[in-house]
Amino acid sequence: MATTSHATEAMPRPRRSIIPASLVQWLTWAFVVALVLGPFLPLAYASVRDRPLYEAGGVFTIEPYRELFRERAFWHAWWNTLQFAALTTAMAVALGAAVAILCARTDLPGRRAFTKLVLLPLLLPSLGMVLGWIAVWGEGGYITSFFNQRLHIGVPAIDTILGMALVEATRLMPIAFLTCQAALVRADSSLEDAARSAGATPLRVLRSITIPMLRPALLNSATLIFTLSIAVLGIPLLLGVPNNIQFVSSYLYTLWTSGTSPDPGAVSAGAMVLLLAATLLLLIRNRLLGAEARFVSVGGKASRVALLSLGTWRWPLAGLITLYLLFTTLLPVLGLALMSFVVFLTPLIAPWDLLTWSHWQMLDDGIFRNSIQNSVTIAVVGAVLATAFVTLATLVAHRSPFRLRRTLPFLMLYPRATPGIIIGIGFFWAYLLTGALGDWFRNSIWGIMLAFCIRNLPLAYIVMYPTLARIGEELDRAGRAAGAGWWTTSRRIVLPLLRPAMFAAFILLFVELLNDYDPAVFLVKPGTEVMGATMLSQFIQGAVGPVAALAMVQVAVTVVVLAVGSKVFKINTTGGHDA
Amino acid sequence: MPEITVAGLVKTFGDQRALDHVDFNVGDGELFTLLGPSGCGKSTTLMSIAGFQHPEEGRIRVGDVAVFDAAKRLALAAEHRNLGIVFQSYAVWPHMTVYENLAFPLKVRRLKRAGIRSRIAETLELVEMTPYEKRYPHELSGGQQQRVALARALVYSPSVLLLDEPFSNLDAKLRIRARAWVKDLQHRLGLTTIFVTHDQDEALSMSDRIAVMSAGEIQQIGVPEDVYHRPANRFVAEFVGRVNLFEGVVAGVDGGEAVLEIDGSARRLTVRAAEGARVSDRVTVVVRPEAMTLLANGDASVNGTNTWDADVHSTAFLGDHYEYELEAGAVKLIAQTSRPVDGSRIKVHIPQDACSMVE
Repeated sequence: MATTSHATEAMPRPRRSIIPASLVQWLTWAFVVALVLGPFLPLAYASVRDRPLYEAGGVFTIEPYRELFRERAFWHAWWNTLQFAALTTAMAVALGAAVAILCARTDLPGRRAFTKLVLLPLLLPSLGMVLGWIAVWGEGGYITSFFNQRLHIGVPAIDTILGMALVEATRLMPIAFLTCQAALVRADSSLEDAARSAGATPLRVLRSITIPMLRPALLNSATLIFTLSIAVLGIPLLLGVPNNIQFVSSYLYTLWTSGTSPDPGAVSAGAMVLLLAATLLLLIRNRLLGAEARFVSVGGKASRVALLSLGTWRWPLAGLITLYLLFTTLLPVLGLALMSFVVFLTPLIAPWDLLTWSHWQMLDDGIFRNSIQNSVTIAVVGAVLATAFVTLATLVAHRSPFRLRRTLPFLMLYPRATPGIIIGIGFFWAYLLTGALGDWFRNSIWGIMLAFCIRNLPLAYIVMYPTLARIGEELDRAGRAAGAGWWTTSRRIVLPLLRPAMFAAFILLFVELLNDYDPAVFLVKPGTEVMGATMLSQFIQGAVGPVAALAMVQVAVTVVVLAVGSKVFKINTTGGHDA
Repeated sequence: MPEITVAGLVKTFGDQRALDHVDFNVGDGELFTLLGPSGCGKSTTLMSIAGFQHPEEGRIRVGDVAVFDAAKRLALAAEHRNLGIVFQSYAVWPHMTVYENLAFPLKVRRLKRAGIRSRIAETLELVEMTPYEKRYPHELSGGQQQRVALARALVYSPSVLLLDEPFSNLDAKLRIRARAWVKDLQHRLGLTTIFVTHDQDEALSMSDRIAVMSAGEIQQIGVPEDVYHRPANRFVAEFVGRVNLFEGVVAGVDGGEAVLEIDGSARRLTVRAAEGARVSDRVTVVVRPEAMTLLANGDASVNGTNTWDADVHSTAFLGDHYEYELEAGAVKLIAQTSRPVDGSRIKVHIPQDACSMVE
C-alpha cells in the first residue's frame, strides 16, 4: 500500500535559505561585541590621553591615573564606597535570606503575599524611592520627627554611611531574597525530611541542613549586591554629597560636572578603575557559580508541607515583615506622594494647609514634559528593540552551531556588573569618536536609549534563558531533521514557544528603561532629557516638589505596567533580578 | 532504500572518548540496532548520522551520498540529509496541531496545499491517527504522541529512519505493543532503520542485526540469536540478558571439547572449545540461567558430565518462571526454571552446548 507512495523520488528537496544562517549568527555576535565592549575602548583610550578626545593633538600619557591616585579625595571616596557596599551587602543578604527561609520553609501567615511584596523596592524607580526616604526618614522627615519627638527614640540619620547603606539594602534585599528562595524551592526537601526522621528538631534542621545548603546562593547574591552597590549614584548624590560624603561614583560625577575645571582624563581613569573592580567581581562570581549553574530552572515540587512550624512566633514574625514593608516601601511612597502635593514638606505644619497642584502642573511644561515624553518613547522603542535583539542573541548563544557562541552569555551578562555611569561615559566618548553616526546618536534621544538598552541587556537575557533552556533541544533538532534550516527552525518552532519569556522581557525592560538614569547623566543635552536625569539635576537645584511629582509618575507607570503585565500575560515579573 | 556506511568514527568530549573507531554497515531495508548502556556512544553515533554531532574522524555515507567525511571537512547540514528521526522525547512541537506538525516538513519542501493534504492523510492513516489530526500534542497520550512523531518522520519519505530510544517513555505494556507495531511498519515500508536502545528485550525482539556498544566501541555485531547465545565477550554476555560467569583455567582440550577448572573450587566444566583454545589458557565461560536444568536430588534422569549437587540458597517466583540462587560448593549459580524443584539440596545440570567461552 503506502510502500509505493512513500518513494523518495516523489519528494522535492527542502529549499535552502537565501541568507546563510551563519551570516546572521556572525552579525549578531559582532553587534553584541561592538555594543557591549565598544564603549569601553574609547573610555580606556580617553584615560591615557593628555587632553580630551575632542581636542586635536594629544599624546599618550598615564598622567590621568597619576593625578587621580595622588588625589586624597579619590581614596577617601573609595574607602566610603567600600564601607557602604560592605554594610549594604551584609544587611541585604541577612535580611533577604531570613525572609526567604520564612516564606519558603515555614508556616508564616501571608507568605505568598510577602513573596511578591518584598520584591517591590527593586522594581520601583530607585531615584524616586530615595526621595521618598528623604521625605519620611530624612532630617525633619515625618517618621524621624515622630520617633524623635513623640517617642524620644533616636533613629539613624540617613545621610550617614550607615543610613545610606540601609536605604540601599532595602532596595537590593530582593536580590538576596530571590536567589535564596529559588535555591530553597529547587532544593530537594527530602534532604530535610531525612534529617527530621533522623531525629533533628526543625530548628536543628534549619541550622544544619537548610542554611548550609543556601551557602552558594548567599555567596552569589552577596557578590552581586556588592558589585551593584559600589556603583550606585543616586544615593550618594542625593544623601551623601550634601553631608560631605563622597562615593567613587559621585566623586567622578562631580569631577565631570564641575564647571570650573572639568577633567575628562581623570574621570575616564577613575571610571576605568571602577570598571576593573566591577569586572573582577563578576569574574569571581562566575568562578563561584560555574558558568551556567545559576540558571538551573526552578523545577521543584508544586506543593510541600511547611517544614518548620513557627508556633507562637507566626504572627509576631508576620507583623515584623509587614512593618518592614510599611516603613521601607509604603511610607516612602506615600511620603513621595505627599511631597508632590505640598508647597514644602514639613511635619510642623499640617499638610492640608500647604496643599498645591503647582508641582503637578509644572509637569505639563518645559523640561518636565519633555522628559516624560522622551522617557516613554525610549522605554517603548528600546524595550521592543532590545527584546528582539536579545532574543536573537540568546538563540545564537544556545541554539546554534556558531563557533563563538559560548562567548555570548558572558558578553550579555557583562553590563550587569558595569556601573551605569561608566556605560554613560563610555558611550559619550564612543559617540564623540564615530563621526556623523555618533553625532546623530549624541544629539537625539536614541543615543541615551542605546546606552540604557545595553545596560539592561542582561535582565532580558536572564529572563529569556531559563525559558529557552526548558524548550527541549530535540524540538529544534526535529525541525532540522525535517528539512528546515536554522532560521526557519528558530522562527517557526523556537520563537513561538519563547513568546511568554519575550513578553516578560519586554515588560521588565520597559520598566527599567523608563526609570534608568545613571548612564544618562553624561549623555543628556537640552532637548534629550529623560525623567531620571531631570529628577537628579532638578533636585540638586532645589526643585523638590516637581521632582517628587515626576517620581510619582514613574512609580505609577511602573506599578500599573507590572500589574497589567503579570495579569494579562500571566508572566512572572519578578524575573531578571534573581540571577 | 539506501544502505548506510559508517566508518572509523572518533569523537571526544573533553578527554573522554565518546566514539572510538565505530564501523558498521546497515543493509537496504534492514533494522539495525545500537544497543548499550547509557554513555556507551550509541546516541552520539546516531546524532552523528543525523548531523547533530560532528565526529573528529570518520566517514558516513547514506546510499551514494557522502553526508560526512572528517578528512574532507565535509558535513552536510542536518536539514539536507533527508533523514527521518524520532527522538526519545518525541519532540512533537507543542504549539502546533498534529496536522501542522506533519505539514511543517512538507511546507519546507514547498509542496502544494493539495499535495500536503493528501500526503498527511495518507501518513496519518498509516500510523492510525487520522481522527486526531486537529489535536494539540498535550491532548494526546504518550503512545499517540509517539505515533505522531513517527508520522512526522515518515511524511516526507526520508531515505532512512533513525529511532532514538523511542519507547523509553511508554509504560511496560504499551511498549511491547509499540515494538511490534513499529517493527511491522518498518517491514512494510522496507525502511532502512537505525534504532538506538539500552533495552535488550527491545533490541532482541525487533532487530535484524544488533551492534552492542560499550565505552565508545562496538563490542559485537550480529543477529539477535548470535548476540544472545554466542556473545563475543564478557561485556556482551553480561549486558544482554542475565548470565552465569565461570572463570578458570583450561585443564584439557580434546577435539571440540575443553575442560575448564573453575577458580577457587574443584569443579570442572566441560564446554565447547573456542577456536584456538589451549591448555592453561585463562578463560571465562558464560551460561544463561534458563539453559540449566534443575533436578530433584533423587532424580537420576540426567547424570555425568556437568552435573553438580547444589544447595538452594534462595528461590524467587517471578510469574512466568522461578529463579534459584544455588551454591555448588564454592561456585555460585543463578538458574531459571518454569517449574519449581523441591528440596534444599538439588542437582544442577549445565548442558555442554549452553556454555560459550569468551575472552
